[in-house]
Amino acid sequence: MRDVSRRQFLIRMTGLGAGAIGVMLSIPALGFLLSPLFAQKRIAWLTVGAIDQVPVGTPTVRYVDMPNEQGWPVPSERRVVYIVRKSDGTTRVLSNICSHMQCDVHWEPRLGQFLCPCHGGLYDIDGVNIGGPPPAPLPQWVHRITLDPVTGQHVLEVQNQLDERV
Amino acid sequence: MNAFRTLLHPSRVVTVPLRNAYRWFDERTGITQLVHKGLYEAVPHSGGWAYTLGSATLVLILLQLFSGIFLLLDYVPSVEEAWQSLHFLQAQDAFGNWVRGLHLWGAYTLILVIGLHALRTFLSASYKRPRELNWMSGALLFFLVLGLAITGAMLPWDNAAYWTATVVTNILHYFPLIGDGLRQLWRGGTFVGPITLTRTFALHVWVLPFVLFAFIGAHLYLLRRHGEFGAWVNYNTETDDPDKEIGERIRNAEPPYPTKRIERRYAAPKRTVDFFPDQLFKDTAVSVGLVAIIFIAGLIFGATLDEPADSATLTYVPTPEWFYLPLDQFLVLTPHDPLIAVGIFVIVLAGAAAFFLLPFLDRSRERRPTRRPEVLVPALFMIFAVIFLAVLGVNRLYNL
Repeated sequence: MRDVSRRQFLIRMTGLGAGAIGVMLSIPALGFLLSPLFAQKRIAWLTVGAIDQVPVGTPTVRYVDMPNEQGWPVPSERRVVYIVRKSDGTTRVLSNICSHMQCDVHWEPRLGQFLCPCHGGLYDIDGVNIGGPPPAPLPQWVHRITLDPVTGQHVLEVQNQLDERV
Repeated sequence: MNAFRTLLHPSRVVTVPLRNAYRWFDERTGITQLVHKGLYEAVPHSGGWAYTLGSATLVLILLQLFSGIFLLLDYVPSVEEAWQSLHFLQAQDAFGNWVRGLHLWGAYTLILVIGLHALRTFLSASYKRPRELNWMSGALLFFLVLGLAITGAMLPWDNAAYWTATVVTNILHYFPLIGDGLRQLWRGGTFVGPITLTRTFALHVWVLPFVLFAFIGAHLYLLRRHGEFGAWVNYNTETDDPDKEIGERIRNAEPPYPTKRIERRYAAPKRTVDFFPDQLFKDTAVSVGLVAIIFIAGLIFGATLDEPADSATLTYVPTPEWFYLPLDQFLVLTPHDPLIAVGIFVIVLAGAAAFFLLPFLDRSRERRPTRRPEVLVPALFMIFAVIFLAVLGVNRLYNL
């Protein structure tokens, strides 16, 4: 009887020991693995430039070098900003990141639509998804338009992140 | 004098110490018994050429390991240097590019051969009791090979790799509830960036291969435990009532197997041969042919490298690797929310689950393909669907 309980004790302690090793290794490893979920983003405002000369009624491409918002700093990545000025005075600041699989959307003048080459997604000039698989409009960059008091020009600035509000 | 000469004869001077050293080693390791056990396994007598695909798959996986180790001599898993390091191979180092060609064409061949291996196993119904876990471990190996192929395609950090990484990681975010988090974990951020490459690299060179080789061990252990089933032809007889005879033999081939080899022969297919040299010769012949094709394709075609990754391109048309064309076409056919998630995580995963769980879906005792229409017809439908989707995808992307 005494032997059986000693045996049970040894088995339990062995299992406990193995479990303790597992827990000790899992805590730092899981934390490391999950760290991108909790990392501080490096949000930056980037000047696109004056937009008063941007033509009205057709999307205009501007390229912006954006620093990566997570991970260690690497050279800035060029990203596309489509400026769409409407005759009613509103301005949309679209990315070219397809809402379906994030492929490189471009304005197709012959169609008068944005076209995604991956799976044939289509968006109208406002970035509203009108054909193909995209589930949502073309995302906009987080942006602001300010009046430069010196030059009297409207200046567009964008953040290195997409506007999640759609 | 004569005796002295014999005693000092070169063959004696060399062979006697060698033989003694071998005996010493064998006494301590049992190596002879181990090798004999491996070599003189009984395998079915007929249809040996059809059974070479498994060993060919293993050889091709080892070729990937070998060429992959050599690629690590130059490749740098960094968004700034990955493309540069491979461009150096392409422009400066013909042998390096040849090795990269081996890795690329080896991967293409491996996907084809592992698919044929699965098809052969399906047609011969080798997955039935007691070999259900042989099939399931093999199905996992197939998925792991596809995972290795897609993570490998992301590493060169050219445009093809960058947009593959973008699309593949983005698919995760359609997963209900935790999708955004999953995408962020793989990417190491909202966008594809430096951590995306290091994490994908870790998956490709350590995580997936580690799991792969563990399951290869399990797969081979189970193969040796139950023996090669072969196909129904190996259980055929010339009696008046062959069906009954075949059924009897197959029942005999089922567990519990006698452990002794002499009894095992009785329970095995009608006629067997030793694995060595009969089957191993055929295995080697097929592997030599496949490696020769890869050797030449690697030299002639090498491996392609696109322009460096450009996140601001307006003209690049991302196209999937050929083996992901059917899945890519599937993304076109399931538009909008929530059909995108249903297409990926319900329909595709259901197909994968059916493949994985085949031994439990096909529960009849029948082994001949024509007598298993209830699994043959759905399987043919799936194969044709995959080919049809691939054709649609080629037509869409290349306007043929």
